[in-house]
Amino acid sequence: MATIAQPSHATHVGASAEQTGIWSWITTVDHKRIGTLYLWTALFFFLVGGLEAVMIRTQLMRPNMGFVSADTYNQLFTMHGTTMVFLAVMPLSAAFFNYLIPLQIGARDVAFPRLNAFSYWVYLFGGIFITLPILFQVAPDGGWFGYAPLTSNQFAPGPNIDFWVIGLQILGVSSLAAAFNFITTIINMRAPGMSLMRMPMFTWMSFVVQFLLILAFPPITVALFFLLMDRFFGTTFYAIAAGADPLLWQHLFWVFGHPEVYILILPAFGLVSEVLPTFSKKPLFGYNVMVYSGIMIGFLGFGVWAHHMFAVGMGPVADSIFSLMTMLIAVPTGVKIFNWIATMWAGEVRFTVPMKFAIALIGMFTIGGISGVMHSSPPADLQQTDTYFIVAHFHYVLFGGSIMGIFAGIYFYYPKMTGRFMNDGLGNLHFWLNFIGMNLTFFPMHFSGLYGMPRRIYQYDSGQGWDLFNMMSTYGTYLLVVATAVFVWNFIRSRSTGAIAGNDPWGAATLEWSIPSPPPEYNFAQIPEVTSRYPLWDLKDPKKTAGIDHSHADAMTITDAHAVPVHEETERHTAKELGIPMPFSTAKPLFTAFGMCTMFSGLLFLRNDMFAVAMTVTLTGAAMLIGGLISWFTAPLE
Amino acid sequence: MSKLRLRQAMPALFTAAALLMLSACGQTEYPNSTFTRITDFNTAIDSLWERLLFWGTIVFVVVEAALIFTIIKYRKRPGGPEAKQIHGNAVLEITWTAIPALILVLIAVPTVKTIFQTQAPAPAGSIRIQVIGHQWWWEFRYPDLGIVTANEVYVPIGKTASFELTTKDVLHSFWIPQMGGKRDLITNKTNYMWFTPNADLGTQAYNGFCTEYCGASHANMRIRLFAVQQDEFERWAKHQAKPAVFNPKAAAMAAAAPATPVRAASNTQGGAVAAAEPAVDTSGYMFPAEKLPAHVIPQTPFPAGLEYDDALLAGGDATRGATQGFLVGGCIGCHAIDGVPGAISQTGPNLTHVASRHTIASGLYRMDGPSLARWIKNAPHMKPGSLMWTIGRGEYDPVLKTTQKAGLDDRQIADVVAYLLALK
Repeated sequence: MATIAQPSHATHVGASAEQTGIWSWITTVDHKRIGTLYLWTALFFFLVGGLEAVMIRTQLMRPNMGFVSADTYNQLFTMHGTTMVFLAVMPLSAAFFNYLIPLQIGARDVAFPRLNAFSYWVYLFGGIFITLPILFQVAPDGGWFGYAPLTSNQFAPGPNIDFWVIGLQILGVSSLAAAFNFITTIINMRAPGMSLMRMPMFTWMSFVVQFLLILAFPPITVALFFLLMDRFFGTTFYAIAAGADPLLWQHLFWVFGHPEVYILILPAFGLVSEVLPTFSKKPLFGYNVMVYSGIMIGFLGFGVWAHHMFAVGMGPVADSIFSLMTMLIAVPTGVKIFNWIATMWAGEVRFTVPMKFAIALIGMFTIGGISGVMHSSPPADLQQTDTYFIVAHFHYVLFGGSIMGIFAGIYFYYPKMTGRFMNDGLGNLHFWLNFIGMNLTFFPMHFSGLYGMPRRIYQYDSGQGWDLFNMMSTYGTYLLVVATAVFVWNFIRSRSTGAIAGNDPWGAATLEWSIPSPPPEYNFAQIPEVTSRYPLWDLKDPKKTAGIDHSHADAMTITDAHAVPVHEETERHTAKELGIPMPFSTAKPLFTAFGMCTMFSGLLFLRNDMFAVAMTVTLTGAAMLIGGLISWFTAPLE
Repeated sequence: MSKLRLRQAMPALFTAAALLMLSACGQTEYPNSTFTRITDFNTAIDSLWERLLFWGTIVFVVVEAALIFTIIKYRKRPGGPEAKQIHGNAVLEITWTAIPALILVLIAVPTVKTIFQTQAPAPAGSIRIQVIGHQWWWEFRYPDLGIVTANEVYVPIGKTASFELTTKDVLHSFWIPQMGGKRDLITNKTNYMWFTPNADLGTQAYNGFCTEYCGASHANMRIRLFAVQQDEFERWAKHQAKPAVFNPKAAAMAAAAPATPVRAASNTQGGAVAAAEPAVDTSGYMFPAEKLPAHVIPQTPFPAGLEYDDALLAGGDATRGATQGFLVGGCIGCHAIDGVPGAISQTGPNLTHVASRHTIASGLYRMDGPSLARWIKNAPHMKPGSLMWTIGRGEYDPVLKTTQKAGLDDRQIADVVAYLLALK
């Protein structure tokens, strides 16, 4: 399978030319196109999740507001969380994994291009599956955390939770398939000379995230499977009447849920670690420590899950241990913050739009980190958990951290993806509206929380001391709507009107900037030979990297006879002209993904005792899945 | 250059915003603030919090200052110095690993101490209170005092209240912000927490909330806590432990005697009638209505689409409500009233002294005729998801999705309201 990184000595030539049209997108197995699909889809879901947030905030603008019903509100906050975590931020990261990892490591595609397409289609179908019900007022309403026993048949007899449990199960397949794909890619397909410690920091953080994914998704899969069995087949994993302990769900969920936080934030850390050195004209400060702290965060991330459960009564010993573990994780995170600042220290800091977002990440994530340490202390957390203080905290982490980092990444890589810059004026407008809107929305929540406002309440009385803060938060959200509209306009419009960007519009250091923008289908006409972490700086500005020992060719011997020293590729060919074998376009991954989702959705009919329909749908889906797989496995890749 | 000015102005803007918020703290009331030291529990939490806030502020200022200083000082300028190609510094990196670690030790030690201190068993002689969560109301039992009540809990100041938390259905969480941290109610498990209101607290009323998402009316599962003087508590407890003060049988007999209007029966006229006396006025205690602070008085507006003519309430007959309405309406199927034969169900809140509470529907509405009448007429309309079904005849039940064909008409509801209001 994994032969496409091999250069031009291969004998047969793929059929795929540069193609256009819907069909070319449906059948694509090109990692760049799949990355683009992820980006557009995830941005769409980001808008959906944002719309849900706007409705939530409108309802909370004033006491006893009555904008939406309790039932609708509960669906909205459940879907806001579910959408933002699983359908927006994770896939936005996935868009960058897809687009950038092969480019950064000097490869022509990912290890399993068709599996990559499969991951995307599963994500798309899963996302539609879990989102559509809100149009019919039957969206999941158990919270994104879905605590037992509120999700059991006894307390949630409707189809709402069915959509949630099946939808998340489907999305898990997508994440796992993608994670295995990227791990294989990063381990096997790096260009000659690119040792692990020469990998760009984004690829490094992505590498850590893939391990988090494959280790964190099994617990949630098990938890969801238990719930699925309970709901459809009458098992009693979470049935309280049968003596079940509802904490089983919480432990399984948070063993997934906490690493998930790092799954959401580490890619953003990786992106700003690309942006900051570029616009400071300096190498990343403490590369090794940045790598180790990323690994450390990922590792410790599995040992802190019960800090989400300080109120459940685990006893003082468990509370203490999880508290100390949680405090410990602040150390490597703090190191990252300081190293980023040190990266800019004594540099030439250029305030481009991506740089502004990257700097904002440092400043805003710090606030989220500090409030995080505040509730790592269980007695203090007992006053904070399930209040708006927590809502403030994790939005500083996820909006101030992940989303800021992702915006930095979008502005930074847009020229690479499209060949054109995003408009600078609109970008600045977006940044400032976003920055002010974010702080206006989330900073007051620290106060409403510590002044006693619980989470997930759809109404409250006035005179509780919360009115002002809620009003501020809601206006902040409206400001974010304007900011996002500016961004969307800029994002769409710049594709045709943006200033033309060359190979390397920002003066960056890594391999993806050595090839044309947008990159040709084959990425690299000749596989580059890597001798340092900053190959393009070595090439263009050797003076800059002269003093850095790792920039010299070291003992690592380049064995690939076809690799050539890093150089700028300026000409654009087709793979055919160059004799580079490319994988065939195919709709089989889509077909297989559709079959799998059909198979799962058959379960829905069991709710109405339509056994025959359920069996028919499930078996049809299973047949499509198996047929698709057989056909896929027996067709040659290229 | 203008961009730069904005950048420089940001810290100033931020400081201004923070000061604005802090000044707001001084002016307005924060009745559910967590920054109080009125119990031993919250004193421990608040002193820990102050330490966290202190170090958090220092870290915040240092990091943000370093960040802003760096980007201003090292911004690219025409003719400015070139970037220095430093790529790491072991000493620096060890320093900024070690300093945060040290700060964390300063937080960790008192944290662990406080964990063990606040989770120790409650001191002997505490008042035991069982808290039982229901969708969406609170049951409070004082097992040593023989009291069963709902949604409003009384604790004496200067004495430890020890809570035993369980739930009949899904998870809930018990939280009275001013008194201390919250504790979850977990199915098939008993949790514990305790606190001691300061002895010098005075008689006060506080809000509490359910803080674990528990379904449709999670927002409407509120608590009122009354911290009262020791003697007030004793009077309250003694009265609450008694059977219902309004006994329909005795009241009916009293009504039969022409000189004694039922609801005005106040003089002792012999053994049979004595049971109907509202002895509450002299021996019992409830937190005085006129002293209720604004923040504990419910403000939920009545939902649209639910009509009730409040003029009917004046004609409500408590005895008829007790002997007919309470039975015909099916109330007895879920609600216990101590002293009424057959009214022993524990499904809904115990109504023995329901009129001694200030709120109904778990703090959602006031305890008064109009609220009660509408509540009885169509509870699920008044409170989303309510498991108390629609009693009003001809009313649509939004939970069961049926129209109530039997039930009570508006006059019968007025009778039941009169009866409930007599249950002081």
